[in-house]
Amino acid sequence: MRILHRMNTKNILVVDDSPTMRRMIVASLGELKGVAFSEAGTGLEAIEQLAISTTSLMIVDLNMPEMNGMEVLSFVRKHQAYRSMPIIVLTTRADDGIRSAALAAGASAYLTKPFLPRVLAARVSDLLSLEQ
Amino acid sequence: MSIAKTDPKNDFFVKFLDDYFAECDEHLTLIRKHLLALEPFINQPQIDRSLIDELFRSFHSLKGISGMVGLTEAEQIAHQTESYLRRLREDQVILTSEALETLIAGTHMLEEVIAGHRDQTPKTEIAPVLARLEKLLAGGSTRDSVSDVSGKHAVTELSIAENERVARALQLGSKVWRFEFVPSASLSERGVNVNNLRSRLQEIGELIHAAPRVLEQGAIAFEFLLATNVDEVSFASLLGDGLTYTAFESALPILSSVVDELPRASQSPTSRSFSNVVRVDLGRLDDLMRMIGELTISRSRLDDHLTHLESGMAALEWRPLQEINQVMERELRALREGVMRVRMVPFSEIFERMRFVVRDLARENKKKIDLELIGEETEIDKFLVERMMDPILHLVRNAISHGLETPGEREAQGKSPVGTLTLRASTVAETVMLEIADNGRGIDGGHIARHAKAMGLVDQPSSFSTSTILDLICTAGFSTREETDRAAGRGVGMAVVRNTVLSLGGSLNMDTEVGRGTSFSIQLPLTLAVADALIVSVDGQRFAVPQSTISEVIEVESSAVKAFEKNEIIQHREGVLPLIRLAKLFGLKENAPAYFHAFVVGRESNAVGIAVDRILGQREIVVRAINDPLIQVPGIAGATELGDGHIILILNPGDFTRSATELRVRPESNTDAQL
Amino acid sequence: MQDSKADAEPFIIFELAGTTYALPSRLVQQMEMTEHITPVPNAPHAVEGVVFSRGQVIPTVNLRARFGFEKIPIDLRTRLIVVNIGNRTVGLVVDSAREFISIPFTSIQPPNEAISGLSGKYLDGIATLKDRMILILNLEEVINQAEIVGGEQPSSASI
Repeated sequence: MRILHRMNTKNILVVDDSPTMRRMIVASLGELKGVAFSEAGTGLEAIEQLAISTTSLMIVDLNMPEMNGMEVLSFVRKHQAYRSMPIIVLTTRADDGIRSAALAAGASAYLTKPFLPRVLAARVSDLLSLEQ
Repeated sequence: MSIAKTDPKNDFFVKFLDDYFAECDEHLTLIRKHLLALEPFINQPQIDRSLIDELFRSFHSLKGISGMVGLTEAEQIAHQTESYLRRLREDQVILTSEALETLIAGTHMLEEVIAGHRDQTPKTEIAPVLARLEKLLAGGSTRDSVSDVSGKHAVTELSIAENERVARALQLGSKVWRFEFVPSASLSERGVNVNNLRSRLQEIGELIHAAPRVLEQGAIAFEFLLATNVDEVSFASLLGDGLTYTAFESALPILSSVVDELPRASQSPTSRSFSNVVRVDLGRLDDLMRMIGELTISRSRLDDHLTHLESGMAALEWRPLQEINQVMERELRALREGVMRVRMVPFSEIFERMRFVVRDLARENKKKIDLELIGEETEIDKFLVERMMDPILHLVRNAISHGLETPGEREAQGKSPVGTLTLRASTVAETVMLEIADNGRGIDGGHIARHAKAMGLVDQPSSFSTSTILDLICTAGFSTREETDRAAGRGVGMAVVRNTVLSLGGSLNMDTEVGRGTSFSIQLPLTLAVADALIVSVDGQRFAVPQSTISEVIEVESSAVKAFEKNEIIQHREGVLPLIRLAKLFGLKENAPAYFHAFVVGRESNAVGIAVDRILGQREIVVRAINDPLIQVPGIAGATELGDGHIILILNPGDFTRSATELRVRPESNTDAQL
Repeated sequence: MQDSKADAEPFIIFELAGTTYALPSRLVQQMEMTEHITPVPNAPHAVEGVVFSRGQVIPTVNLRARFGFEKIPIDLRTRLIVVNIGNRTVGLVVDSAREFISIPFTSIQPPNEAISGLSGKYLDGIATLKDRMILILNLEEVINQAEIVGGEQPSSASI
C-alpha cells in the first residue's frame, strides 16, 4: 500500500479487520473534501502506518486479532507524536464497559456499529475541522 | 414475497452486498472448521484459546457487517453467539455437548438467513434458535465482561500464556529468538512491512509474540518472538531489511506443570495476514477469458490473411511470419489454460461443507454414518462449485435420510450399524467426476415402477433399467417425499439436480442395488464455454445473443421505420441502419406494436439492426454446441439451457450481417405435408 | 423380461398413425416423455426441434411428418425415442411407445412383399406376430439427413 501524502490533504487511517467494513467506512466518507485514505487490517499494521506516514485521523475498530483497538489506542497515546491525533473508535452495542475504558484511554469519539454514514462523516469533519 | 428485514437507513450500504456475502462465506468456512475442532474440548476444564479467539473474531465480524447492511437477524444470532464465546474465552463456563450443538444450530441458522438474503427467499424464523442461544447464556453468571484487554503485553512483557508457549517450545527442543523490525516508508514501498515479515516468520516457526514498542529515540519498532528449529543461517534472507535478531532468554522459570495440562490444538491458528493470497472477483476472471477469446479471434484473422499472403510473398519472408503466428497460437492457448487454472479450486471447499452437514444430518436422522472423502485435492472450476453446491447437498441429504438405514435396521440385515457415505472426486481426461455413494437400502425399481404407473407416466410396470429409474425420479413432481425434506421450500429436487448438471454440460448417472446401496455419479466438463448473452423474445420464444456481438441496444418506434426497396431501414445516429425482423427471418408471428427493441450487430457499413419483440435481460450462459447436421441452420450458433430445463437457441448474428436476403423463410416450413 | 435366444432379437415397439413399428433395442438409448422441444427456425419440416439428452443438444424428428402424415398435438402418450447410430444421436417423436419384445428371426419377412406405400428402403422387414403386423424400420434411412433436408418423404401410405 503506497501512501501519497499531499500537503493539504488530510490522511485518514481506517483500521478494521473486515475488508468489507473498511470499504464501507471509506465510502461513508466519500463526500468529504480534502481527505485521502489508508487502511490497515490489524493493530500492528495500523501502528506501522502511523510510523511511516503522516496520519491526520484514525478510525479504529476495537475488536481485532492479536492487537486489538484498545491496545492500539493505549500504545498510541503514550507516544509523544500522536498524543493529540483525533481517534474515533468503533464499538458494538453491548460494549458499554469498553466504551468508557476507551474514552478514558484517550479516544476522541466513539461510534456504535451499525452507524449512519452521515453521522461518521459529521464526526470526522468536526474532528478535522474540514471545510464543507 | 418478503425478504429479510432491512433498515431503510442502511440502504447506503446495499451496494456492498457482494463484498458482504463474500466475507460471510469466508467467515462461515472458518467457523464450520473451528466448531468441529471444538469437539475434543467438551467438558474439558481448558479450551484451546486460539480456537475460541478465532471463533469469537469471526462472529464479531459477522455481527458488525451484518448490522451495517441491515441484516438484523444475522446480527442478532452473531451477537448472542459472540457473547457466549466471550464467556467461554474467559473460562466462565465449561463447554457442554449441548452448548456445542446450540452453537452449530446457530451457525446453520446464520447460513440460512444470509443465503436467504442473497437469494431473496422468504424469511426464516430465527426465534427458536435465538431462544436456545439465550438459554445457553443464561446458564452461568450474567456478569458482563468489563474489559477486552486480556491482560496482554504492555510492550516487552509477555503474558502468562505467552510464557507458557515459550516454555513449551524450549521443552520440545526448539530455540526462541527475538526479532526487532523498524518500519520505514522506503521499506514499505519495497513490500517489506510488518504483515509480510510476520507471515515469513510464521513460515519458519511458531510466532509467540508480536507487539510494537517505542525505541529510545522515539521511533516505533516491532518485536517478534519466534520459536523454531530452523537454523540461524536461514535468517540471513530476512535480515538487512530493517530486521535484527538475538537469542531470547526467558526471565521466568519453566512452568512445566501448566504446560502438560493444556490439550494441544490440532492445528496452529490461521494467520490473518494479507500477504500471499489475492481475493479475485470471478467477474474479472471472466473479463480476462473474454479478452483471451477476442485475442483468439484476432489471431485467427491474422491466420487467414497470412494464408492469403503465402502465394504472393517470397517464402523467405513468409515463413518467419507464419512461425511467429504459430508461436502466438501456442502462447495464447497456454494463457487461456493459465487463466482457467486460476479459477480452479480444490474440492476440499465442498468437502469441508459436507463434513459439517453430514454430522448434523446424521444426528437429526438418528443414524450412524462414516463419511469417506476421497480426492479433495482434485480441482474444479470455481463457477462449478457455486452451481453444484446445492445439488450435491441434496444428494447427500437424500442418501442420509432415505438411502441409509438406522443402526437397528442395518444390524437386522447383517450389516454394520454404521453406514458409509463416500464422496469421491477425480479427474478423468477432460472431465471431473464426483461420485456420491452409500451402502444403504438401494432404490427399489419395482416400487418406482408402481408409483410411475399410479401417476400415469407409464403403462406397463415391467422392470426398468437404472437409467429409466433415474429418469423417473428426476421428473419434476415425481417424489412425494420432497415436501417433508428439509430442503423443502428451496426448490431443490432431483429434477433440479439433473437440470443443473445438464446445464453445465455434464451428465448424471446412477447405480443402485436393493439392499446394497446407491451411487450417483456426476460428470462435468473441465473446460466450460461461458459467455455473457442478451436474452430476447420473439413471438413468445426466447433466444440468446452473445453480448460480444452486440454494439448497442435500441428502442425503435414503428412509425420511424421506412421501407426502401425490399428492405426496412431506420435513421440511426448520423446515418441509416437496415432493419431485419427476427420474426420474419425465423418464420415466426410478427407483431406490430407501437415500439419494439432491436440490437445492433456488425460494424460501420455492415451494421444491421435486428428487431425483436422484447429484450428480457442479460444472462451468463454455458454454450453447448449443435453437432447434428439436421439442426445446423443459418443464424443459429448453438444452444444453452437457462436452468429451467428448457433449451434456448443461441443466435449467430454474423450470419445476419452477411446477407439478409439469403435467409428467407423456406416455403415448406409453414405448410403441412401433402398426403 | 425377454429371453435372449440367439435366434431372436429384442425390439422397441411403437405406434404411429395406427401402425405398429419396431426398432432394434440396441440402437435405442432411452425413451422419454416429450418434454418441451425447442423449435429450430428454418429447420426442415420433419425436424420438430431440439432437446437435451445426456448433456448433448440433439435434433428431434417428428416421425409423422417424416412419413408424410399429419402432425397431431402432443399428449401424455407421446414418446420421444432417443436413438444412437454411428456417432449421431437423434430423438424420434412417436404417438406412443411402451413395449419391448423379442422377435424371432423366423417371423420376419423381407419388405418387398409389403403393402404398397412405404418405400422399401425405409423398412428392414415386416414381422407377423400372432395377429399383429409390425414394420421394422431401417433407422439409417429414416434419419438420413440429405433426405430430410431435401423434403423428401416416403410416398403416402395407404394402409
